[in-house]
Amino acid sequence: MERSTHSPMMALALSFVAVIWISPFAWLLANAFDTSANGQLRWPQTPGLGNFVDAISGEAGGQFVNSVILATGTATMTVAAAAGAAYGLSRLTFRGKDAILWGLVLLRMLPTNGVLVPIYFAAQTAGLLNPLGVMIALTVLNLPFTLLLMKNFFDTVPFELEEAAHVEGASLWQILIRIVLPLSRAGVAVVWFFAFTGAWNEFLFPLIFARSEAVFPMSIGLYSAFGQHGAIQYGFLAAYSIVYAAPAVGVYFLLRRNMNTGFAGVGVKG
Amino acid sequence: MRSQDIRPWLASGGPLLFVAALPAILLVGVLLYFTFWALAFSFTDLETVGAKAVNWSWVGIDNYVRLFTRKGFLESLWVTLQFTFFSAIVGQCVMGFLLAVALRGKTGRLRALVEVSLMLGWLLPDIVAAFLWSATTSESGLLNQFIVIPLGFDPINFRNDYALTVVILANVWKGTAWSYLLFTAALDSVPREVLEAATVDGATSRQRMWRIVLPMIRPHIATNMLFITIWTFTYFSLIFAMTGGGPGNDTRVLAIFLYLQSFDVHKLGYGSAISVAMLVIVGGLSLIYLRLLKEPK
Repeated sequence: MERSTHSPMMALALSFVAVIWISPFAWLLANAFDTSANGQLRWPQTPGLGNFVDAISGEAGGQFVNSVILATGTATMTVAAAAGAAYGLSRLTFRGKDAILWGLVLLRMLPTNGVLVPIYFAAQTAGLLNPLGVMIALTVLNLPFTLLLMKNFFDTVPFELEEAAHVEGASLWQILIRIVLPLSRAGVAVVWFFAFTGAWNEFLFPLIFARSEAVFPMSIGLYSAFGQHGAIQYGFLAAYSIVYAAPAVGVYFLLRRNMNTGFAGVGVKG
Repeated sequence: MRSQDIRPWLASGGPLLFVAALPAILLVGVLLYFTFWALAFSFTDLETVGAKAVNWSWVGIDNYVRLFTRKGFLESLWVTLQFTFFSAIVGQCVMGFLLAVALRGKTGRLRALVEVSLMLGWLLPDIVAAFLWSATTSESGLLNQFIVIPLGFDPINFRNDYALTVVILANVWKGTAWSYLLFTAALDSVPREVLEAATVDGATSRQRMWRIVLPMIRPHIATNMLFITIWTFTYFSLIFAMTGGGPGNDTRVLAIFLYLQSFDVHKLGYGSAISVAMLVIVGGLSLIYLRLLKEPK
């Protein structure tokens, strides 16, 4: 374990793993940049960006906008709701706090499928079988986890700073806006992007909530595109996939350092 | 939790804190309410459309009896267990662990390559992964192009003939990064001195693994198993987008069965019973893992 180079066998095995993991991506790129793509892995025969133009214009472009709205809305609602309550959870001591934290841990593990039927029924009754309904449903399901994550971030803000501000005569509102929020920027960003990626990738809720093609996000757009057509347009689908995957992947690499903090915060410390 | 006095600036801001917390309290309340609702629905014959959407009635435990007497649920449970066992436990967990061990303390291009490709799979939206794997395992896909045909065989329609295997592999491909990251962090938490001391005492690398590393990271293993089992057991989108549960019922996992019963056949009552059964099974599995987590060394 102390050696810092790989033995030849190990290097071979790892290369094999790398090839398996990478070949679908190679396939994806080769087809996306080939305007005469046929689903084979080969050097693009007629290289060009035509597929990407198709993937961001017309109906596909509309689906991109739908996804942006859905994901931004969900992320913003999640952060607003979680930040408000998480500060109290972090700073206050009250009876039953441990019970609430453990309750949130349990709720966080609750599978979506478990509450799918009531959520659908409630949305149908309330006339929310639309993107707004999806946003609310996802926010509700995000909350247990994001509350815990946000509480962990607020815990790291030293309250001595708040104390100092208080001595200087700042009100609670000023303390929150001027000190706590700026210091927990990283936490807010992680929660926001966590919710953003989750909603961006979401498939099930748009599938049962979206009543018209005009409101389809990209997940449903891609699904119906490769499900329906007999002769598959590989080039278009590959480009569409890249456009669809880019924000989720990009956000991670942008926020990698903060994400690791969030990753460590998955466990709960009461 | 350490005890701390209520700070004066908090004491005077009670109403503000309460108002700020209100949306979250409300929404979490809604989630709790839905959970109990799912339970209540499962004792009714509620449907999404038609007369029973309005005039539903209580049917006692009929839906639960139907789980075991009608075809569907038990078959679906079996498919789900196979999918979970092979893709989460055998695939992601073991694979992630082996990769974490193999790449531990290494630097260089190979490690970066493996890590980035694992992460890309993990970050990809489910439907993109489904499209990639559908395309690469189809009759004209990558697998046939580079392995089957060069070996002189007729192209095989993997997606149809080996559907369950293909979705299991797709899920291993997509999900291993999580286990890898978690085990990498876990291995870093094993103090180097302990391992060095064991080496000095003459422990072989196999002994160090079985006697020191594995016992020390047991909580991480249990945590990892807990999460990936729950996720995999209830996974819907990747499988549904790749196969729709078919061919036949080969890949109809419980999540898809629940979806079809609730939104295709419109039996919300029966669908709720399936979801409650899923919650019970997931809860049972979680308890087993949590015991593993808490058990003293």
